Amino acid sequence: MTRYGMIIDITKCTGCYNCFLTCRDEFAGNDNGNYAAAQPMSGMNWMKLIEKERGQYPKVKVSYTPVTCMHCENAGCIKAAQGGAVYRRPDGIVIIDPVKAKGQKQIVNACPYRVIEWNEEKQVAQKCILCAHLLDKGEKVPRCVESCPTGALIFGNLDDPKSEIAKLMASGTTEALHPEFGLKEKVRYISLAKKFIAGTVIYGDIDEVAGNVKVSLSGDGQTRLAKTNGFGDFEFEGLADNADYTVMIEASGYKAKSVKAKTLKDTYLGEIVLKK
Amino acid sequence: MPENEKTVVKGLSGGGVTEDSNCVQVDVKNGKIIRIRPFHFDWKYERKPWQIKARGQVFEASMKTLIPPFTLAYKNRVNSPNRTLYPLKRVDWDPKGERNPQNRGKSKYERISWDEATDIIASEIKRVQKKYGPTAVLLQADGHGETKVVHAAHGCSRRLLSMMGGYTWQTRNPDSWEGWYWGAKHVWGCEPVGKAAYQSNIVPDIAEHTNLLLYIGCDPETTTWGWGGQTVSRLCYWFTDLGIKQVYVCPDLNYGAAVHADKWIPILPNTDAAMYLAIAYQWLTEDTFDKEYVKTHVVGFDKFEAYVLGKEDGVPKTPKWASTKTGVPSRIIKALAKAWAKAPTTTVHANGGNMSRAPYCTENMRLEVCLLGMQGLGKPGRHMFTTIEWGLFGNMNPPEWTFGKTIPVPRHAAYPNLVPANRGFAVVGSDLPAQIISKVMISEALNNPPISWYGSTLCRTLTEEQFTQYKYPADGCSEIHMIWTDTPALMTCWNDANYTSRGYRNPKIEFMLAQHPWVENDCQFADIILPVTTKFENEDIGIDNFTAEFGTLYLDQKCIEPRGESRSDYEAVCAIAEKLGLLEKYTGGKTVDEWIRVGFDNCGIKHLVSWEEFKEKGHYVIPNDPDWQKYDIGLRKFADDPVKNPISTPTGKLEYYSQRLADHFPDDKERPPLPHWIERGETHDERLSGDRAKKYPFLCLSNHPRWRVHSQHDDMQWLREIPTCKIIGPDGYAYQTMWINPADAAKKGIRTGDVVKVFNDRGGVLLGAYVNERIMPGVIYVDHGARYDAIVPGELDRGGAINTITPRKTVSKNATGMVSGGFLLDVERVNLDELQKQYPEAFKQPYNSGSGLTLERMFKQDE
Repeated sequence: MTRYGMIIDITKCTGCYNCFLTCRDEFAGNDNGNYAAAQPMSGMNWMKLIEKERGQYPKVKVSYTPVTCMHCENAGCIKAAQGGAVYRRPDGIVIIDPVKAKGQKQIVNACPYRVIEWNEEKQVAQKCILCAHLLDKGEKVPRCVESCPTGALIFGNLDDPKSEIAKLMASGTTEALHPEFGLKEKVRYISLAKKFIAGTVIYGDIDEVAGNVKVSLSGDGQTRLAKTNGFGDFEFEGLADNADYTVMIEASGYKAKSVKAKTLKDTYLGEIVLKK
Repeated sequence: MPENEKTVVKGLSGGGVTEDSNCVQVDVKNGKIIRIRPFHFDWKYERKPWQIKARGQVFEASMKTLIPPFTLAYKNRVNSPNRTLYPLKRVDWDPKGERNPQNRGKSKYERISWDEATDIIASEIKRVQKKYGPTAVLLQADGHGETKVVHAAHGCSRRLLSMMGGYTWQTRNPDSWEGWYWGAKHVWGCEPVGKAAYQSNIVPDIAEHTNLLLYIGCDPETTTWGWGGQTVSRLCYWFTDLGIKQVYVCPDLNYGAAVHADKWIPILPNTDAAMYLAIAYQWLTEDTFDKEYVKTHVVGFDKFEAYVLGKEDGVPKTPKWASTKTGVPSRIIKALAKAWAKAPTTTVHANGGNMSRAPYCTENMRLEVCLLGMQGLGKPGRHMFTTIEWGLFGNMNPPEWTFGKTIPVPRHAAYPNLVPANRGFAVVGSDLPAQIISKVMISEALNNPPISWYGSTLCRTLTEEQFTQYKYPADGCSEIHMIWTDTPALMTCWNDANYTSRGYRNPKIEFMLAQHPWVENDCQFADIILPVTTKFENEDIGIDNFTAEFGTLYLDQKCIEPRGESRSDYEAVCAIAEKLGLLEKYTGGKTVDEWIRVGFDNCGIKHLVSWEEFKEKGHYVIPNDPDWQKYDIGLRKFADDPVKNPISTPTGKLEYYSQRLADHFPDDKERPPLPHWIERGETHDERLSGDRAKKYPFLCLSNHPRWRVHSQHDDMQWLREIPTCKIIGPDGYAYQTMWINPADAAKKGIRTGDVVKVFNDRGGVLLGAYVNERIMPGVIYVDHGARYDAIVPGELDRGGAINTITPRKTVSKNATGMVSGGFLLDVERVNLDELQKQYPEAFKQPYNSGSGLTLERMFKQDE
């Protein structure tokens, strides 16, 4: 059997929008019969990119999260549709029938991921079809995957244990974008942005950054150790949301310093000055 | 495949030279473009990807092109509501009566026939040439654009007018790398471009030996796209996998830094020279540089040392001193100096960005080369890595410039050259026409002649040529009375374009002709506009030489019928040639098909593929050179033995002190023989320390655009929905995005989404505010290239063309480069309602937020 899935590796997404654009190229103004009606020339986002600025000046990074139809096993859209207007193919791809779904606006609201959109002109709900029309003609991957320059989108047969995607799924490193929805998503993620705490340590008595200084972080039931780099910087990535943490900094010859932080957001503690 | 369907291979770079990049496969059905997708090298040929091995890991070349976003949205560009569909004539320009030059940029247009248009053009050329001489016609005919060969987007006019006694030529300056050309060349040669020319096999060497990569003013996730796609993005990830640290030094957390940086060091725009001096100070005082290398490879080190340590001017260039100039804390400068000295370090550039296009930017680039020399430039892991234009200048180089095609990754087995088929002027040799005007000097030439300047500014000339003085009008030549442009982008890409617009309205200019696929920028000042096809609308031949993975020669096939009455640039000039009785001479008696064949026959790969096979398959994928490893690594040979392997400076060594500059410009305080920090000078006062900064307290950072290639692609509807591309104002207008730090925004009462005006004494530009943490306080960041949409021509722009208010003057007194970043301005929120009341006409224009400008607005609207 072939059962398709996709993994999105956030660490490899540069935010180039190729996935979003190639989806437009494929579907805007191109009618694909039973698979999908043509998208209008603008406005729809079957593959959208969520940009998030993380941290505070000058410790900032950006995470880009591509979001598309998750082709869920427990797809709410299938249940919400009438007359079999939304169905799952044997290969797992969830399709909204462009004819049967006409006028069924409730399909849009059935998706907690908000990835189904309403085509006002055609009066039909629409979403990603994983380029089923191309896969059926022998293409190996959907167009967004083909256009991704860095390999951030990984597509393949979940039932083929030799496939890259099956191995990654088995590795335990993937997660759903919203596991709390409980939808058994076929699109999963690697390294979704969590929270970070970072800072820069400097010696107060001299105009120097403090490199190679021991930094420990405790909170959320764990303790992590790090050392500052040559710029005096430290960073703890992948922390829990809304948790209380304490950062302890120790350098020989200087008074130890502890700083508290709550991960309501990614936090740059700024310059932490050590005193003798 | 059914008869009504086909798949063709097409290059879609924004280069506009004869060589292309970013090859795609285009599916066409019933004369409609269905899809544009990456080109697969193994579609019809078996090919093996090259591999680089280092530190136990392997990097394998992609088997498809890693195309940039513009390419995927290209249907938007072809179908843009801004396409020029018919010949247009300005309504109040009458070649037999009133010409109303003062109304250029304001008047509406009317549709005329090709026959009428070419009659007028032919008779105007003859009239102007007869009355004033052939040099009265200025040809603006070189620049970026679609890459076409037979149908050449640029320069077809030159071929015609060279048959009619000549013309005045607007010479193209090295607009993206002025600092290298006018500065670094004097230290390290690197003829002819001044950027790091010796790139051969640098990437494998970095992968094996480099510990620190310094991206200084460099965005590998932006500037490289239009020329080389996204291969460098993959390399950046690989460098991280290899444990190579990547530090970004730039005013903005640019798109590369946002995802690849281990450390971002924000620095005020165009202050890099001060940081470099302080790093040198640290190395000199802590004795952490390669003294043996300096002894054998450097000229003038004693003078350099004296200046850095303060023996020349009493000011030691300490990190503390530099921190006041750069905004970088002194301890960070010290840490950077330490990291750089500790392990093999390579600097990375994509032309240099803002810091190589700013006032006195020669000093930034010269000093960076000096630092590289202090750490043994060319030794393992110690280079300058260029992420863009791999091999661009190689094909055109004379053989004595030995580096030829220098490619930092494994190279192709051949680099075909289609110049013999190019019907524009693809290559410029020494045959300059009687009169030239540097593109940087055009506005002065039109507004304020006579003028003079140094250097032709042509980007392929040797350093010596920088000492030739040119003047306009040249001896025995006429002033300009007619302008013919196929490169109508000065309004959004060149210096002080508001001043240029005044030049276009000068009564001396009796006729201005533009030929272009889109009614944009300078076209809006023309008296006649000819509609031009995109490369989807003609049969041509093309060569993708810049894609790193493989080279591809392809039949650049027609996909759709020409839109409206458009013709290719070549066909347009043929139509004019016909009216002048020169058609047969102009075409060389050959059809387009015959020229395509000339291209194939002369491109240099007949030993690899026959015409028959090429024609049948539609393309040929050039294999890689199995002996790629035999090419010298970067400047390794020079590093090993500078006497046997000199670089192309007069002494053959790194010239920290340039005797040549001292000989030619002994009194130049703005580009002295030894690189200096120039706070201000007779040419520019664009520092935060000056009096002008009291009035205009922000420094402008203007990068090569993320979502455009210069002025190209600004009408791509899908790109314009991306939040860092455009900000939709409350009036529905898609404003060019402007970045501002939250601290500055709070002071100015600016929030994301607000329409703001940036301004200085040269004019104002409306923009959409994007308040974010990715930009340094004190800095306003605006990409260049948004299309000009005047509210008041020459004064206030709504399109976001930041170059309307860039400095008019050149890089420095004797360095005839363009300044497009690192200048002062202020910003304020605008009251749109008031503006609309003040300028009802401008705000009532037809508008399409998907494309911005439209053809419709060129016509008078019914009341």
